[in-house]
Amino acid sequence: MRSHSRAFLWLLDKERRELVASRSWWVLLLALGPLVGISFISAVRTYAEVSGLGGTAGGVGEAMAPLIGVWAPTFSACELAAVFLLPFVAIRLVGGDRQSGALKLELQQGMPAAGLVAAKAIVLLIGWLIAMLPPFLAMALWKSYGGTLYPPELASVIAGHVINAGLTIALGAAMAAVAEHPSTAAILTLGVTVGTWILNFFAAIQGGWWERAAEYTPTAVVSEFQHGLVRLDVVLIAGLLVVAGLGYSAIWMRLGVATRRRALESVGLAAAIAVAILACTFVRGSWDLSEARANSFPEGDERALSRIHGLRMEVHLAPEDPRRVELENRALAKLRRLMPDLRVDYKSATSIGIFEQANAGYGEIWYFLNGKKEMSRTTTAEGVLEAIYAVSGVSPPKDEDVEFRGHPLSAQPRGAALVFFGIWPGLVLLAAFVTRRGRL
Amino acid sequence: MLFEISGLSKRFGELAALTDVSFEVRAGEVLGLIGPNGAGKTTLFECLAGVLPSDSGVVRAGGREVPGGERSQLLFYMPDTITPWGSQSVRWALDYTVGFFGGKAELRSGVVAELDLERLLDRPIGALSKGQRKRALLAVGLLTSPPALLIDEPFDGLDLRQTRDVAAALRRHASRGRTLFLSIHQIADAARMCDRFVLLSNGRIRGEGTVQELAAHAASRNPAGAFTNLEEVFLALT
Repeated sequence: MRSHSRAFLWLLDKERRELVASRSWWVLLLALGPLVGISFISAVRTYAEVSGLGGTAGGVGEAMAPLIGVWAPTFSACELAAVFLLPFVAIRLVGGDRQSGALKLELQQGMPAAGLVAAKAIVLLIGWLIAMLPPFLAMALWKSYGGTLYPPELASVIAGHVINAGLTIALGAAMAAVAEHPSTAAILTLGVTVGTWILNFFAAIQGGWWERAAEYTPTAVVSEFQHGLVRLDVVLIAGLLVVAGLGYSAIWMRLGVATRRRALESVGLAAAIAVAILACTFVRGSWDLSEARANSFPEGDERALSRIHGLRMEVHLAPEDPRRVELENRALAKLRRLMPDLRVDYKSATSIGIFEQANAGYGEIWYFLNGKKEMSRTTTAEGVLEAIYAVSGVSPPKDEDVEFRGHPLSAQPRGAALVFFGIWPGLVLLAAFVTRRGRL
Repeated sequence: MLFEISGLSKRFGELAALTDVSFEVRAGEVLGLIGPNGAGKTTLFECLAGVLPSDSGVVRAGGREVPGGERSQLLFYMPDTITPWGSQSVRWALDYTVGFFGGKAELRSGVVAELDLERLLDRPIGALSKGQRKRALLAVGLLTSPPALLIDEPFDGLDLRQTRDVAAALRRHASRGRTLFLSIHQIADAARMCDRFVLLSNGRIRGEGTVQELAAHAASRNPAGAFTNLEEVFLALT
């Protein structure tokens, strides 16, 4: 009886070697330095300009948070790399075995295909974590400039990009296993990615279920994590999508199983994942890891709001109306975290609302609670809170919270260009040369 | 008997690649699968190894059906024209065979010597010539542990001297009890190498047995013919 665990270690070593041997991974490493560099340098300069204008006044603090001012743009380079470079690394590692004939040999080992896929996924994830080193260099530089780092919010940003990479790896692995040729797999992968962008676009126009589905696209996931918001349902659904992608890869990797059976198994997996995803959409639980509490109301308001149950809102704003976007981002996103039973009904006849402006009632936001109702047109967080307190009869808390004052830093990105455009690419090229010569 | 194949069929759309293929593989023998190009030899090997689904048919060993997922306990198939782990060295591929496939470490040095791989050990597989790669992959196959080894075109790409050396090495492994099932399109090579033969043409078995048994079979179909060697038998039956 062969030891699967010993064989798995050999498989991990083989996948590591294949990753190191793949040019696409080295291109990913090489590209991320300058990409992160451009984003970081630009963000630090902008942050310095805003800080120089005295951005510590109350209300500007959120804008002065490094999370939004520096780390979200710096890490956005990783999002770009995950969309346009990482899929090729994943496809090369998964599809390469099929192309070379190695898969025909390895399938004969007797290890379940899931094991073969798991080894590839683990190595790809480690490869991605190595590729994410440039943002860590940016953190070291930021610290050297006198900037502050708030670990929980940074952990949130990093987790978002790791999850995004996991989704990309799973998608690439699935497509590489389904498609006969890597180029077909690449086209399919980019097709799905573009599909998620179309979904986001549709959600912005149509609202409703499209809007709900768009909350779980990679772009939306990264965006939430970049703002320090960790939602349990998003994490669970992303995990399910990763399992689905890797599952499809394992199903279609088994060359010796009849196509019809693999297709049936795929349908079964899709059904099971769909049910699980649906169940996960009802899961509540979220954490605001941002230092600025950017996704939360002040603590006093949160205590007051937690006593209110059964609130219903009727919002007469079209999906593309900027006021609706503001209402969602500034108030409702925070409110939903506190009030799981909050019901929001949107009423609009068109998607952009231009021709509804003249209609009586357009722009109104109605609040219903225990037979009482209140109308307001304000879409700011403060306005929404005021209306809720009015309809509920709950007294607003006294303004006793310590407001986040931000971390202004008027520093120039010294040495960043050298690190990201010189040292990092140099080290990557040197490492590529040494490892490829040594066949490590 | 090591295992038997019964009623194996495989279609690719309208094309019947294999039709009701049945024969047996005996323990310790060198069995040759011969047939013209497009006869279905590679398809047969891939179906047996479980890397291509068959439409029907079973493999039995010890009176028990061996499903595709369990064939790795019974046989190992080395395909032709593959370049696995192209960026890795031959040395690593042999280590990997022992580690991942549970190969026989004790055979490693002997196989390297038999197949003249010493000078190639540190070369990447992808950088080897066709013949060198064939020898490296034969070494991988010989190191694996299942009782039967299926090799698709073991002599393809080898020169005359290498063919003789590889044939001798395969013979030695067979004499130690390893069952070899070789797909060979060169009839002369097959005649020198194999104990028994399976003749495949248009996806159907045309005969099975030793040269003498096949000659008798050919003679029964064509009493006027003279079948003194495998080539004549092959032409008569395919």
